[in-house]
Amino acid sequence: MENRARKLYLIPYVLWIGLFVVTPILLVVYYSFFDLNGNFTVANYEKLFTPVYIKMILSSFWYAFLITAFCLLIAYPAAYFITKSKYKQLLLLLIILPSWINLLLKAYAFLGIFSTYGAANSFLEAVGIGTRQILFTDFSFVFVAVYIFIPFMLLPIFNALDKLNPTLIDASRDLGASAWITFQKVVFPLTIDGVKSGVQAVFIPALSLFMITRLIAGNRVITLGTAIEQHFLITQDWGMGSAIAVFLIITMVVIMVVTGTRKRGVQ
Amino acid sequence: MAEEAIIRFDQVTKQYDDDTIVLNNVSFEIERGKFYTLLGPSGCGKTTILRLIAGFTEASKGDIYFNGKRMNNVPANERQVNTVFQDYALFPHLNVYENVAFGLRIKKMKKAEIDRRVNEALRFVNLSGYESREITEMSGGQRQRVAIARAIVNEPEVILLDEPLSALDLKLRTEMQYELRDLQKRLGITFIFVTHDQEEALAMSDEIFVINEGRIQQSGTPTDIYDEPINRFVADFIGESNIVPGKMIRDFEVEFAGKRFECVDQGLNQNEPVEVVIRPEDLEITTWSEGKIQVKVASQLFRGVHYEMLCYDESKNEWLVHSTKKATVGDEIGLNFGPEAIHVMRLGETEEEFDKRLEAYQGAGYGK
Ligand SMILES: Nc1ncnc2c1ncn2[C@@H]1O[C@H](COP(=O)(O)OP(=O)(O)O)[C@@H](O)[C@H]1O
Ligand SMILES: [Mg+2]
Repeated sequence: MENRARKLYLIPYVLWIGLFVVTPILLVVYYSFFDLNGNFTVANYEKLFTPVYIKMILSSFWYAFLITAFCLLIAYPAAYFITKSKYKQLLLLLIILPSWINLLLKAYAFLGIFSTYGAANSFLEAVGIGTRQILFTDFSFVFVAVYIFIPFMLLPIFNALDKLNPTLIDASRDLGASAWITFQKVVFPLTIDGVKSGVQAVFIPALSLFMITRLIAGNRVITLGTAIEQHFLITQDWGMGSAIAVFLIITMVVIMVVTGTRKRGVQ
Repeated sequence: MAEEAIIRFDQVTKQYDDDTIVLNNVSFEIERGKFYTLLGPSGCGKTTILRLIAGFTEASKGDIYFNGKRMNNVPANERQVNTVFQDYALFPHLNVYENVAFGLRIKKMKKAEIDRRVNEALRFVNLSGYESREITEMSGGQRQRVAIARAIVNEPEVILLDEPLSALDLKLRTEMQYELRDLQKRLGITFIFVTHDQEEALAMSDEIFVINEGRIQQSGTPTDIYDEPINRFVADFIGESNIVPGKMIRDFEVEFAGKRFECVDQGLNQNEPVEVVIRPEDLEITTWSEGKIQVKVASQLFRGVHYEMLCYDESKNEWLVHSTKKATVGDEIGLNFGPEAIHVMRLGETEEEFDKRLEAYQGAGYGK
């Protein structure tokens, strides 16, 4: 009886997963084995290992790494500060708020801010550095990406820090540990699961970023995401685009497994 | 016993932002090697005192000395005390061995030495063989012992224990009371133990500080405090008491329940209003005519070892009686007691005044 009811409830979920997760992945895998003329081939995968693509893959990883690292460097101390603050909920809301705004809208806002006559350059002018080319640089790309991803890094870290029993910090100090050693030996290890979730939530999407690579970085940065977009929409080489997508999917699974959270009995 | 106090509080006041005073002008001394208990109801400031000693919080006013040196500004990690926390605060990401070794690793001790001391500490608390267990795999009583081992392994001068037994069931708690007391004696380390359980305090301590509303009400040995409570709060908090209003007629004579009785108290003014304390177990039931006071039994409960009776005298004073003899509800009976059973409390007397008066007695050849 109960078992049957449970199965009934599962139907929408299974349908959803089947239609929108499993089928697309199978389709992508299927397409990746055809060339432009519709012939079966593994050439798409061979092409992935040519210097052009290897360089692209490496640069994608490099930027994703940079973005994740900066997000972590900013989000961890910020999350720590918020947990200690009296206005925890308000500060948290302020951090999350920008993530509710459409990505495209934020990208266009930065176009304005970073443009030759934008706010950033006016400021540089005012402090005497002078107008610089900010838009379409690596810097602006990483900056905007970090800005966009910070909430996704901050939230899981905040949750982990917030759950941390503050007496554990007292206990560590009591046993002779300085503030820094307490961080290394107690706080960080006990919030590592939050860090892992944050890294997953940033690194994986950062690998496949496209759009802002064109808007902010002016296509100077070609990531895997951009390459997929171009193959599907411009060169119409769906096979190659799918092969890159399959590569990305495999990478994501590997990252998920590597940073996978082992359940630990945190009080 | 060392001649110098290991810890001294000098007029310490603690106030959080919202200007409620948590500790009000608290002064006391802790001597080396004794078992001290801070006893008081929840919220009276016991944990705050421990936190001040450990260095997790700062005094708003007053000085805290450690071996004669002021240590108000010494950070927690540089103080020679270790704490057993109320919720144990064991590190969930470390196993039993690593929890106990934590403090030694911080001190960069040699591996062999760490090994030796951790094993010894675990043996001390009967947890040999549990080294590689995860904390989540330990029961409440075992966690409590790990927390103690983690503190003693550092060989501190003082161990602070914040209601370490309150989470345990009655049987285990009694067992641990013996073990803790025994451990303290074997180690010779000063223990400062916090509890809100008066029986626990009486059973374990060399010295008790009774605290209420951020003030030390009375300090002394368990028998001192039980036999000579200084005010209504202490009398009520430590064991059960009958407290009735009375009047000191002259030295060794007090009036209450409409009659005059011989007592052992002196040094009070003539005709001074006082409160009289008689413990329920010091009252003996007898016949109406033979009793020193006459009461009517209102209710009776069987408590296992004794009967507990609630009685009222003609002046509507309430008398709680513990007796192995049985009475009948509604009966009028007599209550008997000796002069030593009567303890007279002066209204609003401070601990210093009380001590002074006691010393004056002893000067006059008073002794019990
Ligand atoms: N961090 C704090 N901020 C404000 N008030 C506090 C804080 N910690 C404790 N108090 C208050 O101080 C009083 C004493 O607390 P505590 O020392 O923990 O009592 P006890 O351990 O005797 O139960 C309580 O009224 C409590 O509300
Ligand atoms: Mg407490």
